[in-house]
Amino acid sequence: MLRLFKAFRLLAAGALALLSVPAHAAGDLLVAPTRVILDGSRGTEVVLNNIGAEPATYRISLEVKRMTAAGGLDEIAESDANDAEKAALNMIAFSPRRVTLPPNQPQVVRVGVRVPEGTPPGEYRAHMLFRAVPDAAAATAEPRPAGTGVSIALTPIYGITIPVIVRVGELDAEAAIGEAWVSESDEGAAFNFDLTRTGNRSVYGDIEVTRAGVAEPLLVARGIAVYPEIAARQVSLRVPQEVAAKLKGPVRIRYTEDRELGGGTIDEAERVVK
Amino acid sequence: MGWDFHSDFDHLSNQGTNHMRTTGMKRALLGAAIAAFAFNASAAHAATATGTATAKILRQITLTNTSDLQFATIISGATASTVSVSTAGAVSCGAGLTCTGTTTAANFNVNGTEGAVVVVGGDANVTLNGSLGGSMTSSLTYSNATITLGASGGSFQVGGTLNVGANQTAGDYSGTFNVTANYQ
Repeated sequence: MLRLFKAFRLLAAGALALLSVPAHAAGDLLVAPTRVILDGSRGTEVVLNNIGAEPATYRISLEVKRMTAAGGLDEIAESDANDAEKAALNMIAFSPRRVTLPPNQPQVVRVGVRVPEGTPPGEYRAHMLFRAVPDAAAATAEPRPAGTGVSIALTPIYGITIPVIVRVGELDAEAAIGEAWVSESDEGAAFNFDLTRTGNRSVYGDIEVTRAGVAEPLLVARGIAVYPEIAARQVSLRVPQEVAAKLKGPVRIRYTEDRELGGGTIDEAERVVK
Repeated sequence: MGWDFHSDFDHLSNQGTNHMRTTGMKRALLGAAIAAFAFNASAAHAATATGTATAKILRQITLTNTSDLQFATIISGATASTVSVSTAGAVSCGAGLTCTGTTTAANFNVNGTEGAVVVVGGDANVTLNGSLGGSMTSSLTYSNATITLGASGGSFQVGGTLNVGANQTAGDYSGTFNVTANYQ
């Protein structure tokens, strides 16, 4: 009997915990994999999963983004896209474009590619955007004084983008690590270094910062790209104060290819971090 | 069923009074066990003949929204002013305004491969339309331009500065803004 009571108490606590979970988590999502490279003949699949607590409708679309010298990804309106970007949008096909999923229901998105004859060699890229279509904006949460105040309901429409890259022809690229320094701002400390790229495709890989005599890497950052539209970028990685302090001085910075592609070294450099 | 196979064998050596009955039962059990074994063997054989099972683990990213950007309730004044909610959720109520209620910054959690660098993007401005007419604009500020995911992922926050007009029309104002977590 006591055990039954305990079980009930647990159940009640569980129910209460559930109630306290905010209800606006509709639209949360999972996407895998996080990067797609196509050689022009074979397609692939991307998985979208509704990890929210409620059913949600997701839209899938292709966006044009350009990398900035600071390492950001600027959104470009389709009307402002250049020929290569338009070509990328045209050669990548996918389905479905809209799907309603109950919680924990995955959906496979098929991605196909068709490279028109005569397409110049190069790397063609678009960014696949997955995002939930919001419900009608919910009314205000808090009561306001009658007739006098204004109340605000701001609904985020949030999503994930992954690059879809089509490579046409024999492509090659190299990268070189430049100066490295630690910076401080209102937002906190950051480890920065310059990365230059040559060739006709993007470079992509992981960064590892080590110091002779220190067993553990000082810093590891995975998935750093330099896209073909830029020849150089700054890599700026936010780090905690104590890590920033440790990074100052002589270090070895290694930029390696993705582990799934063998992890070969792209560039390696000894730098004194200022 | 509750039958213990080993204890049945013990009975067999005991030559007990109900020997025949237990033997019969044992035969039935043994037969069932052998049949099951044979079935397993053929199933296993079939599996090796047709190929090996494979499972590919894909790298993933998840994005969850755990709190909204809340300016709470504002009573406008005779002159235009602003209300700011920092990315930490702290409110700064401009001169001439009265701000009540709890403000929060929007929070998003990102999960994925440890060490992965995720680029945060989103609208810099949003327009809010009132239920009784009128509109307001708000600029948006993001806590991070990039996040390096740790073992338990990472998060970023969105705050904003709301421009409240002189004698802003009362009502419920709503608007939407876009936020994305981008893999490079």
